[in-house]
Amino acid sequence: MAGLGIDLPTFVAQLVSFLILMGVLIFVGYRPIRKMLDERANKIKEGMAQAEATREEYVRVRVVVEEEIDKARREAQATVAEASRLGGKLKDEAKREARKEAQVIIDRARKEMEQERERAIDNLRKEFVDTAILVAGKVISETLDAEKHHRLIEKALEESVAFKKN
Amino acid sequence: MTDKKKRKEKKRYFGCTLSVLVILGIVFLALAVISFIGGNVGALILGKDAIPILAVHQPHPELPAETPFPGLPITNTMITAWIGIVVVIALFVAGTRKMKFIPSGIQNFVEVVYEVAANFIEEVAGKEYGRKFFAVCTTIFLFVLANAWINLIPGVETIKMNGMPLFRNPNTDINVPLMLAMVSFCYVEFWGFKAKGFKYITKFFDFGPLFQGLRQLFKGRLKIGLSGLGMGAIAVFTGILELLSEFIRIISFTFRLFGNMTAGGMLTLVIIFLIPWVVPVIFYGLEAFLGFIQAMIFGALTLCFLAMAVKQAEEEPA
Repeated sequence: MAGLGIDLPTFVAQLVSFLILMGVLIFVGYRPIRKMLDERANKIKEGMAQAEATREEYVRVRVVVEEEIDKARREAQATVAEASRLGGKLKDEAKREARKEAQVIIDRARKEMEQERERAIDNLRKEFVDTAILVAGKVISETLDAEKHHRLIEKALEESVAFKKN
Repeated sequence: MTDKKKRKEKKRYFGCTLSVLVILGIVFLALAVISFIGGNVGALILGKDAIPILAVHQPHPELPAETPFPGLPITNTMITAWIGIVVVIALFVAGTRKMKFIPSGIQNFVEVVYEVAANFIEEVAGKEYGRKFFAVCTTIFLFVLANAWINLIPGVETIKMNGMPLFRNPNTDINVPLMLAMVSFCYVEFWGFKAKGFKYITKFFDFGPLFQGLRQLFKGRLKIGLSGLGMGAIAVFTGILELLSEFIRIISFTFRLFGNMTAGGMLTLVIIFLIPWVVPVIFYGLEAFLGFIQAMIFGALTLCFLAMAVKQAEEEPA
């Protein structure tokens, strides 16, 4: 053993050196590095958690926004449909009113036309009677007096009107 | 592209152009040949004296550490170990003095060393024990590595004082490997007892099955008793082997490191003696690698024995 150089004081001195190295390294090396690595790992973990929370919040907000958009779209569609329905209704009413007014106008015009026609017919009848009397008087002034003549023409005219109506 | 740029983009090998590399190769080869012919080998072959600059003195390796200061019990291996310790501590102090959240420079380097070691240790021993074993295993690794690599600095083992080397690889002093082996052994046994309690001793003195066999014999169950006695004898024998292996581990730890480092150092000295220039560079590289491997083996084996001691305790039912 002595040939190899085993020597207790040297052994103890080297042991002390080693223990000093380990002690110093624990305090000035390992612990500060461990602390820094743990801090860094925690910070990264926190960052990851924050990113995850932000992502979840984004997803949640997106769902809410999409729901709101859907709701707004549905409301808009309903409003458009209502407006369209109301528009149609108004249009129909306007049409109906216009038709009604037109009918009134037509009726009124027809009535006026009828009155005008009757008036014309009366006038024509009167003129015809007068003319007929005049002509007949001239032709047969000798055989019939004026009153008989007038009655005859009246009768003829009534027959002709009745004939026309039939 | 201009010719100037083309010239600049010449292919490079190890940071040099091919022509520079060829010139360097020729120079190194010439130096090696000169060193071979002009050195001690050439002198022996040619029967002439070696060229004075190449006449390296024959190494006379001493196994025990020498005390270069007469009257002072300080060995050259102690001095070198202290230098190594100071270098390692200085490195860690420089790396942790002003730590920044985003590391750079030496802080980056020491953090990488720490992380690689911590990951390796935690992978073997688990996270809980990994942190407890870290300090001892990593310090053993760093101490052995510093001792081994400090030996590669020119001047170590060649600077003499009172005819003795002033600096010498501490791993070649048997007291250092023995001290590390004892530290490793004591730490493993300490953790064995801490994890398992006094029952840890039954790993070495397991008389339970033997007594059980005897009990069966006394009860008249001959077959079961004899079988139990056989098993008991095997358990006792295994325990003795375990105990022996624990102590043999000290010897194997000590002589593996001591032998490898001493042989490596001697080989380098002999090569320097034979061919002083160029060729020893190869052996320096080999020594650097060997030093790293030995440091790794010492630290990793300590870790494995520690893991085995605590894992045995974990596996056994309470």
